Amino acid sequence: MASVDVSELKKNTKIEIDGHPFNVVDFQFVKPGKGQGLYKCRIKNMITGAVMDRTWRSGEKFEAANVESKQMQYLFASADGFTFMDNESYEQVELGANIVGEDKWFLLDNLSVDVLFYNNRPVGIALPSHVIMEITDSEPGVKGDTANNVTKQATVATGYQVQVPIFIKVGERVKIDTRTGAYIERVNAT
Amino acid sequence: MGPALSLAARVELWDVVLAAVRTELRCSGLREVTTPPMVAAVAIEPWIEPVCAGAGWLHTSPELAMKSLLVGGAGPIFQLTHVARAAERGAWHREQFVLLEWYRPDRDDAVADADGVMADVARLVAVVVQAAAPWALRSIESPHTWSRIAFLDAVEDTTGLQLQGDEDGDALARRMAATPYALPPLRTASTDARRLEAWTAFFSGWSDAALDPWLRGRAGAGAAVHLVDFPAPLAALSKAAVDSRGRTTSGRFESHVFGRELANGYRELRDATEQRARFVAVAELRAAHALPVLPMPEAFLADLAAPGLPPCSGAALGLDRLVALAVGADALAGIALVP
Repeated sequence: MASVDVSELKKNTKIEIDGHPFNVVDFQFVKPGKGQGLYKCRIKNMITGAVMDRTWRSGEKFEAANVESKQMQYLFASADGFTFMDNESYEQVELGANIVGEDKWFLLDNLSVDVLFYNNRPVGIALPSHVIMEITDSEPGVKGDTANNVTKQATVATGYQVQVPIFIKVGERVKIDTRTGAYIERVNAT
Repeated sequence: MGPALSLAARVELWDVVLAAVRTELRCSGLREVTTPPMVAAVAIEPWIEPVCAGAGWLHTSPELAMKSLLVGGAGPIFQLTHVARAAERGAWHREQFVLLEWYRPDRDDAVADADGVMADVARLVAVVVQAAAPWALRSIESPHTWSRIAFLDAVEDTTGLQLQGDEDGDALARRMAATPYALPPLRTASTDARRLEAWTAFFSGWSDAALDPWLRGRAGAGAAVHLVDFPAPLAALSKAAVDSRGRTTSGRFESHVFGRELANGYRELRDATEQRARFVAVAELRAAHALPVLPMPEAFLADLAAPGLPPCSGAALGLDRLVALAVGADALAGIALVP
């Protein structure tokens, strides 16, 4: 397997430590002028999702994690998890609820996502940065309540609850940021 | 992300800063020199990696070439030049950066005398902060006090550990074993190399975990620090010394401004035999860590032996870092002309 020198690390480099795949989520290089360089990294276990901080000295080497990403389509949820399909081979894989985690709220039928495989085992999904979803339930806005930044709770098709501006109505579609879970904007019907 | 400087603003900023630095140094009696960036040999350092160029390397600092000029009787000189150090990439590191390096053969007082190169550093910081003010992203004031703190005193203040500066590699590793500064296993064999390896490793770990936060605390109060009297194993190219408490130190200092390391200076080592022995120890450390083999700088060592370097002090200052700090940028990228 390919070896990665610590000086080659950057954000999103995937490395293997003690048999676990880790993704480098943050990365800082520090070095006293004539001292050994230190690489201060925040790494995320791609299977458990646990995040930790590690500092390595220059010269250290890692194994690259055998991680590949495949674009797949979300099909359906079951009691055991979530099923995705490879659009080319029609092969289906099921990911457990513990792997999908809170991302489940953004899984619309037929949504295209990147499924990550570690040693050919699915270990996670990468959502598009935003999704567009229909509002299925929300209190009507109170008339006359036009002050800025006033929001109300609304429910979207997946059951996810999100704060939206008061003018949003049931049946309208809104854009939601999948990283923060926050409302971005109303999507006008075309 | 805070506010940013346009390219036009950066061009003006650098133009004004470079002119101000040159004026300041010329007015204090130094002449500007230039030496070629491609060299046959660099000063062999434990953790500074030169970039290959032609049959040799790009200089990691113009130190050896400038010392050859001093040997020839050049007098007080300075140089502004890009240097290259492989694989140094970070918010406050770039592989190529402008080094301001200067030498005063008129004074052998880098540490002992306030008129020496340490005072130059303090003056240059004030000059650059003032020159850069029109482009500052927030209000920046020059440090209002500069203090000198002995390296081993800073170790004691931050860790409670009393070190003598002459501990050999294994003794230092034992002292550090049960502390947050535990050393990685030593790989070298000779006493000199093990001592160098242990102290360098300690310096990196301690800098990051204890010294930097401690210095940032002082920077917050408007104070800048010359960290002086480095322990002898970290002397690099400076003269060894013994301090008033009998500890084994050297004429090396580092200047820290706004919580960042900015400059490194020496009361220069003039003994060719001792200089060779230090290069040999560094070469052993490099070999033990599988770092590229570098040639012994024989021409420089011959110059040191005869006619010899006049008594002098010198320093090198990372100008990109100072310019970034002077305008309040949060990384070197904020003031770079070339991304």
